[in-house]
Amino acid sequence: MQPKSTDASHPDTGPSKAVVPFLEIRDVQKSFGGVRALKGVSFAIEPGQIYHLMGENGCGKSTLIKILSGAQPADTGELLIDGKPVGKLTPVAALAAGIETVYQDLSLLPNLSVAENVGLTQQLVASAGKLARRLDLGRMRETATQALTAVNLPTDRLFLSTRTDELPIATRQLIAIARAIASDARLVIMDEPTTALTKREVDNLIGVVDRLRAKGVAVLFVTHKLDECKSIGGRAVIMRDGLKVAECDVAGHSKTELAFWMTGKVLDEARYRDNPVFGDDLLSVDNLSRRNAFADVSFSMRRGEIIGITGLLDSGRNELALAMAGVIPADTGRIRLNSADVTPKTPADAIAAGIGYVPEDRLSEGLFLEKSIQENIVMPVLDRLRNAFGIVDGRRSRALAERTIADLQVATPDVANRVQSLSGGNQQRVLIGRWLTINPKLLILHGPTVGVDVGSKDTIFRIIQRLADEGMGVVIISDDLPELLQNCDRIMVMRKGSVVETFQAEGLAEETLYRALVQETTARTGQ
Amino acid sequence: MTDMTSPATAPAPLDKPSAARIWHWLLRHPPVFTLIMIVLVCAVVGSINPDFWQVANLFDILRASTVRGLFALGVLVVLASGGIDVSFTAIAAFVMYSITMLVTNWMPDMPMPVILVLAAAGGACFGALNGLLIHSLRAPSLIVTIGTQYVIRSFLLTFVGTALFMNIPVSMESFGKLALFTHHSANGTISVLPASVLVLAVAAVLTWWILQRTLIGRAVYAVGGNPGIAERLGYNLRVVHVFVFAYAGLLAGIAGIMHVSSNRLANPFDLAGTELEIIAAVVLGGARITGGSGSVIGTMLGVVLITLVSNVLILVGIPSTWQLAIVGVFIVLAGAVFSLRPKR
Repeated sequence: MQPKSTDASHPDTGPSKAVVPFLEIRDVQKSFGGVRALKGVSFAIEPGQIYHLMGENGCGKSTLIKILSGAQPADTGELLIDGKPVGKLTPVAALAAGIETVYQDLSLLPNLSVAENVGLTQQLVASAGKLARRLDLGRMRETATQALTAVNLPTDRLFLSTRTDELPIATRQLIAIARAIASDARLVIMDEPTTALTKREVDNLIGVVDRLRAKGVAVLFVTHKLDECKSIGGRAVIMRDGLKVAECDVAGHSKTELAFWMTGKVLDEARYRDNPVFGDDLLSVDNLSRRNAFADVSFSMRRGEIIGITGLLDSGRNELALAMAGVIPADTGRIRLNSADVTPKTPADAIAAGIGYVPEDRLSEGLFLEKSIQENIVMPVLDRLRNAFGIVDGRRSRALAERTIADLQVATPDVANRVQSLSGGNQQRVLIGRWLTINPKLLILHGPTVGVDVGSKDTIFRIIQRLADEGMGVVIISDDLPELLQNCDRIMVMRKGSVVETFQAEGLAEETLYRALVQETTARTGQ
Repeated sequence: MTDMTSPATAPAPLDKPSAARIWHWLLRHPPVFTLIMIVLVCAVVGSINPDFWQVANLFDILRASTVRGLFALGVLVVLASGGIDVSFTAIAAFVMYSITMLVTNWMPDMPMPVILVLAAAGGACFGALNGLLIHSLRAPSLIVTIGTQYVIRSFLLTFVGTALFMNIPVSMESFGKLALFTHHSANGTISVLPASVLVLAVAAVLTWWILQRTLIGRAVYAVGGNPGIAERLGYNLRVVHVFVFAYAGLLAGIAGIMHVSSNRLANPFDLAGTELEIIAAVVLGGARITGGSGSVIGTMLGVVLITLVSNVLILVGIPSTWQLAIVGVFIVLAGAVFSLRPKR
């Protein structure tokens, strides 16, 4: 199998003649309360084909996945497996039919071993969900070994008995896939499987998918990453607003076309960065080091500049971001802002110095989901909003929050709504808005568009550009290369804790950047 | 993609032991800590007062561990599923008192095995009720069991009775006296290892088997690890919730009968207030209060440690008022050490 075979080997994946689809849904509808999430969707999945279910957040694709995996019943409509109608589909019944789902959160049980995570489901299905059964340890190990071999994971006893929460995310992703294929899967649904993976790990995943396809297993990706969809190939099923708006071969259509179907807007891939105007020297990082993370990182930037930092997951890019924000401080070296030494030891130091940090995982590190938008936004400046009695002034807080959401175009009727009620892109804007309240001199954005749909990405990029135009220094840490190429002036590539190359982003080819990123890896595997 | 580099980084095999490695290994095997604490207490107490090593004393510790141990096994199963139960002492009190009353007043000839089955069934019913309430109300198990604890206790004292049974039924009394092993020491004292220890042993083995060798056992840990994911993967949460609380109730019922037969007294006010001590024993044995972990062996060690501290400190002249402080220090210590366990 050639490494880059995916585009060429199956260019024609159109509906073939006389194949009975493995799974077919006809006119499926589903409402939650008064909201119609699915307004009548039909499509068929044939064995050995690759599908991409695409659409922006809220288009109904998650609901559709829940119906296919038996987690929720459809209100109306028909579900056919091998041409035969299925009445009620429970999670266990879906598994028994060979429909396996790899959820976005991977759905691994953190406290159970690798062998149990991979092998238990099969026994649960064999007993039709009944729990009063003896556990067949031998069979569990056997199932696990086979499935792990299929995804190129080790199968020694030590690995089998390791708890999954002690393993890195890429390994966990493969374990989740191993579980999916452990019991004669016929359709594997992967819900945004690449969100947490670097490009190298994505290539591994694509290799696994190719082998599945060769065995006649259908794979349904749920995604909004156009680049990956293009490089994997197959058929695209595009949804918008609870309806299927298009179904086509990925190869025959451009990213712009696909994006248009998803968003209803024309989005181009041009650089957002134009006519940057740099001001005085702003930031100077000197020989910043942290043991086992990164060493001797030095760079400087001027006001109004946007710098991108990228690297593989173990390159130290994440640790560098956290050190600059004072979350996990550096051991040695210093950070100067406007010539003053501000090397932060705590997040509070960073905030006081005017460094805003938007973390990668907004759900667990950034936002208080249960709290209102207003509370989330005004949090860093509560001191400033105090009145004479030391109590936070509600009216001023509200005014500040409303100004911020208007500024960043957060779609919400009221700042008193919970952050939970917002879509991913809007949540991200609230988080950026929070840091704008401290009027930062330097804004560090860590994976600013992870889990954000195409339309919101556009808005966030425009905001980033505007902030830089107003004289702020912006550092973007990301493994989304197009995002860096579209937004940055310079891009620094990290490997093994060091900055190995710095590129001018203007006119830089993605291929060049990617090669710098993985240089060592490609040399070792001989690709 | 045939020569994919393996992205797995399983913990490296232990080639050469270093302090850090041993520490790391210990953190992954919390019962070893409990064992170390037990050995320390024994060594300290034994070196100060050699009487500690007398067979009679060891038998005493085992005897005193029986009721606690039965309770703790039930608590372990509930904790492993991510819940918490504080109603088991009330269930035990209710079952032991009503069965003693029933047998004494109406069926004085009832044999011990029937009494045990009855107690187990009664306890399991109360427990299942807990489980059903927790599942159908989707309410925190701590709150629900605090509620049922009060209801059960009040019901017992209001409708069943408050008077002590000084003369317990013959079958229970003779079971209490039944010796598994009798030891005659050199100075002529006779010490007896009661048969009730055997009940604990059987319960421990059964609990281990259920937790490690059956689907329901794995489901208990799965639900304790993450109930949302477990449900999505097809584990029936209702079955698990009802099972764990019913099982804890079942063991509590049996523990109640053991308590009566070894004390030769049925007091409806007994056992109240010992819940936290039992939960502490299970946590000392390495179970996390947040669910998804814990082992039978660790739990048994935790029970022994708690019993040891409350029974033997008197031997080295530490006033009994100090016992609680020492138990408290152990719990804080264990909590601190176990919180260092690797998590991601």
